[in-house]
Amino acid sequence: MSALQGIRVLELAEQVSGEYCGKLLSDFGAEIIKIERPDGGSPTRYLGPVAEAGDDAERSGLFAYLNTNKHSVTLDLTSADGVQTLHKLLDKVDVVVADQRLDWLQAAGLEPEAVAARWPALVLCCITPFGLQETPAELAATDLTVFHSSGWGFHTPSAPDLSRPPLKGAGRFMASYEAALDAALCVVAALCERQTSQQGQLIDISMQAVLVTRTDYVMGQMVAGDMPVSDERTAFDLAGPAAIYATADGFVYIWMSAPAHWQALGTLLGNPEWMNDFPGDWLEKGCTPERVEVVRGHLATWLAGEEKAAISAAAQKLGLIMVPVNNAGDLQACEQFIYRQYFAEVEHPRLGKLVHPTVPYRMSETPASIHSPAPLLGQHTATTLAALAGGEQ
Amino acid sequence: MSAIKKRGGPLEGVRVVELTKVWAGPYTGKLLSYLGAEVIRVESLGSMDVTRTYGVEDINNAPGWKAVNPQKLSVQINMKSEEGLSRLKDLLATADVLVENLRPGAMERLGLGYEAVKAAKPDIIYVSMGMYGAEGPLAYQTGYAPCFAALGGLSALVGYEGEAPTGMNVRYADSTFGTAAAYAAVVALFHRGRTGVGQFIDVSAVETMSSMIGDALINYSLNGVVEQCNGNRRAEMAPHGVYPCAGGDWVAIAAHSEPAWQALAGLLGLAGDGRFATLADRKANEAELDKLLGEWSCSQEVTGLVEQLQAAGVAAAKSENSLDLIADGNLWAREFYPNVTDAQAGSRMTVGPSWKMTRMAEITDGAPALGEHNAYVYGEILGLSQDEQDELVNKGVCR
Repeated sequence: MSALQGIRVLELAEQVSGEYCGKLLSDFGAEIIKIERPDGGSPTRYLGPVAEAGDDAERSGLFAYLNTNKHSVTLDLTSADGVQTLHKLLDKVDVVVADQRLDWLQAAGLEPEAVAARWPALVLCCITPFGLQETPAELAATDLTVFHSSGWGFHTPSAPDLSRPPLKGAGRFMASYEAALDAALCVVAALCERQTSQQGQLIDISMQAVLVTRTDYVMGQMVAGDMPVSDERTAFDLAGPAAIYATADGFVYIWMSAPAHWQALGTLLGNPEWMNDFPGDWLEKGCTPERVEVVRGHLATWLAGEEKAAISAAAQKLGLIMVPVNNAGDLQACEQFIYRQYFAEVEHPRLGKLVHPTVPYRMSETPASIHSPAPLLGQHTATTLAALAGGEQ
Repeated sequence: MSAIKKRGGPLEGVRVVELTKVWAGPYTGKLLSYLGAEVIRVESLGSMDVTRTYGVEDINNAPGWKAVNPQKLSVQINMKSEEGLSRLKDLLATADVLVENLRPGAMERLGLGYEAVKAAKPDIIYVSMGMYGAEGPLAYQTGYAPCFAALGGLSALVGYEGEAPTGMNVRYADSTFGTAAAYAAVVALFHRGRTGVGQFIDVSAVETMSSMIGDALINYSLNGVVEQCNGNRRAEMAPHGVYPCAGGDWVAIAAHSEPAWQALAGLLGLAGDGRFATLADRKANEAELDKLLGEWSCSQEVTGLVEQLQAAGVAAAKSENSLDLIADGNLWAREFYPNVTDAQAGSRMTVGPSWKMTRMAEITDGAPALGEHNAYVYGEILGLSQDEQDELVNKGVCR
């Protein structure tokens, strides 16, 4: 039995944040009833990556990834009947995960206060860009704009070229994935409390706040007055030559912060003459921008002729912290990922066999698992509503 | 009556013992503490956390330490002594969760591997955090946060289009890793609440990073596409970028829908321009579009520009610097920076939780001084008399 088996979750999500939160719960056996609009379903069904082969409407790899183990029920929430059915479903579930804005929830009769009054044992988790208190001025938001409202955007990359724009992070959905993690954490914590209190509660997750909490080592010092606050794009940076460098076959990342790292580099390079211009402890005691620039130049020239995996292994043996910058192909071939079975094959009725990333935690008693592919649109409407009509618990 | 006051919150009554270092493991403990758990950091002078000593004279007044450890307790235990290890096991016998992110093999060398701790506390939830996780052919390797992001495939997706990746800001990865571990721990607590059974949890930092780019990994599975860094672009939207404003500020703008593009085109004077009529047109001419947008935005003051764009229904936000974050109205409306009090420096602001909940845990205390809660742990939890506690000091187990 996985940890959340028997927990029933109603998912009112049309974006990555809510759908990924639902996935994090369904990985542990929670039963997810995903409500979708009858005219086409969740918008994520139309987001890429879409299978290049075929012309079926159910070809989104994104939807397939985010919605494993879930049930799809179509319901027209613009109609009174639909809302009434939704409310009947709420009598039967433990948790609601929503990534809709407050006005949407109100239209569906789900103002948080009303939900608390009518379904006191329900855990209602709302994920919104800036939290339920958000002002109309911020109503239009995407992962890009939320990410840049959090400090991560402005301070990425480290050591920036100031003439070029700050960056959005990796891929499309970092803000959503991060927010979903905090949402799932709070939902299960609330379920723990409910084991004894029998009470539900409202959880209000701000995607912006989630991202800012991830900077706590820095912002915690800044807000306490222990670290300078500024409009500098380098305000979060650490000094030093740590960076990504190109190799003959890709890229490596080098971390250097201690005299031992400098010494290891010397050994690896056969103590070239240019290193003699640097005191042995310069990384700790004399890390000037000029020295960093000289070192970066030499590292770049040297690494351009090396191969990422071989040179990283050689560096690691000497105590120099260097790792390959992996891409999606590297990960599927990585012996560690294979050993830990990070990737799992899932058979999807339209996409066929598809290799999915799974979870970063191995649990001895309640392992996460994918037991069914993402549902086709409305696949479970009839059975779910029939069970509801039949009064099945 | 306990020396430790009740704070409420969903995890009230849960005791967490932390054997952690630097940021990721401590962040896990912080999240659990913010949810109401009692979190005790086990510390020793012989193996001090670098965040207590990095660039500071006073180990009890270290800014980095204080930033990540509010609302925790600290007990000093010399783990190089048999007596110390024995008391630590006594403490673990009272704990619900153990979080550790020491070097691979360190817990086993201390005699604190899962089986040993389980013998002391059969239903313990043992959370082990490692760069590559606790098991596997590369589990012996260690690294810092940017290494996690590089190895996990995330760094390769951050950078300017057609160039070498830059990776995220150097601070990224530890706190995300810590959150994944906290989630797994709470799932295990729920399971234990139902069944009485604890478990071993093995969390990988590298895999946590891969989970932040799951859709890109699916693209490789589905179509064999190895995604590359692409600046600020996104296939489904154009424009989708970050543009200069007056005074060195930057604004993030996304035309997230057709009406949003129409509104933006009106503001830019590009309504009806055939180069940008459809999304496909705009993607084909995106460099030109970005150039025109930048020329339009660069002389404008960012706050007014964001207001103007939002009023027109276009997703836009200032790219916030650290000054902006401290003044941010939404964060203040959520009481995001609570005041906490510590024994050394008095009251200070800190970074609160991301969530609001109906029944929140109170957050009132700053980070602890080393061994600040020795008397609570040795006296109240372990039931040692004052004489026995004095004896521990004499034996060098604590101060």
